[in-house]
Amino acid sequence: MNVTRRQFFRICTAGLGGSSIAMMGFSPNAALAEVRTFKLTRATETRNTCPYCSVSCGVLIYSSGDKSKNAHAEIIHIEGDPDNPVNRGTLCPKGAGLRDMVQSANRLKWPEVREAGASEWKKISWNEAFDRIAKHMKADRDANFMVQNKDGLTVNRWTSTAFLASSAAPNEAGYLTVKTIRALGMTSIDTQARI
Amino acid sequence: MTPTQTIEIHPSTEVPPVIQLPQPGRIFADRHARFAALSQQHSLSDWLAYLGRLTQAQHDIALTLDTLAPPPPDAVERARQHGMPPLAALSYPRPANWTDIARRLAEKMAKGAPEAMHAPLAALGAMTVTELDAIADALLDGRIDPDALPETTIVAAALQTIWTALAARLDVKTLAIPDPSELCPCCGSLPVASILKTSAQINNLRYLHCSLCNTEWNVPRATCTACNTDRDVNYRQIDGDDGSVRAECCDHCKSYLKIMAQEKNPGVDPVADDLATLALDLLVDEAGYSRSGPNLLLLGGAG
Repeated sequence: MNVTRRQFFRICTAGLGGSSIAMMGFSPNAALAEVRTFKLTRATETRNTCPYCSVSCGVLIYSSGDKSKNAHAEIIHIEGDPDNPVNRGTLCPKGAGLRDMVQSANRLKWPEVREAGASEWKKISWNEAFDRIAKHMKADRDANFMVQNKDGLTVNRWTSTAFLASSAAPNEAGYLTVKTIRALGMTSIDTQARI
Repeated sequence: MTPTQTIEIHPSTEVPPVIQLPQPGRIFADRHARFAALSQQHSLSDWLAYLGRLTQAQHDIALTLDTLAPPPPDAVERARQHGMPPLAALSYPRPANWTDIARRLAEKMAKGAPEAMHAPLAALGAMTVTELDAIADALLDGRIDPDALPETTIVAAALQTIWTALAARLDVKTLAIPDPSELCPCCGSLPVASILKTSAQINNLRYLHCSLCNTEWNVPRATCTACNTDRDVNYRQIDGDDGSVRAECCDHCKSYLKIMAQEKNPGVDPVADDLATLALDLLVDEAGYSRSGPNLLLLGGAG
């Protein structure tokens, strides 16, 4: 048996009859009967970073449900993270509405494309989306990549496409983003965190 | 609210305190009021009311303890240098008159006490210093005598009163930040519960509340206070209640401690509300978690 100090603090149904409650002359029976009518609910609190602006406020996301297959998990509340030194538990009105953004009926949940001349958006797979983006990027880069400027100076730049990076990205993702984009010669790079 | 009172709209620019020492002049009085409110309609109403009277007695005695000698400054400094609590519950010498305090508390609890308390209270009054010290040592060392639970409860209340008065005499600047964060920076005891505090300076930060000396210290939220992990932590509450008292359960170390939210109910008290929500303990225990800190006013609940 694994005996820890913690077991001394245990409060359980079988224990109340011999506890100080009973020994001091009070009956725990009504409390024990009442427990049978109660049910537990489960929630989690998860830290995250607000995706909106450069302040990058910490948020606590409250979710209900127990992660089991049959249970319905749902984000029930989002508030400022009191432990975060940046915002100390506060949020701006936009940040305070984060839950509505997460659960918005209009939220984009998969890649969509509107073909040239079409009026409807069409759902496509992620692989299809990546292929299309890569093809567009390559075509544009092949057409507009500049090896030398008009004075004959080597510049190797691609100025006709820009890249906008995420504000919630950590340092490592930021590093990889710059390495990838600069390797292609792209000069216009910005991040949502600056907007 | 009086018309001259300003309303705080912006968060305070002051850094919230890491450690908050107890205020012996009001902590037990507030707790007494909370016990009185909670015992109005409760399945353990008589017990809660009696414990409310015990906290009233603690308050009366706490008011007389401002003459208690504070711990010597060199001992406090030595403790700080070594990252130790200056009022370590088991090793700090109990004040010479502590047994008188325990006997006075027993005396105050005699009137209107239930039949079962008469013998233990009389026994306490007649005990020698050695016998009372033995009960206190057993309590603080987790070796409580199952045949002396009522006596030990009164001794626990006496020690709480004395240690609260001692902790209040400390200067918060002389205290080391507790490491591990689970233990009280003043007396090294385990916490009774967490409380999410709201005030002009504090915006829903979590403080652990010491089970012995009522000191509070800040620990990040959404973290297990027993094993420090921030994964596998979940919150249980009784379906349909106001959410002011939840159990913070850890699937990594399988422990739990209750966490109370002043935002949900400004009156919550870490000791009184803990005892008024025993149903949560029973259900969380059945779900396989064990409690990581004691409430000294309820002993022997493990059977």
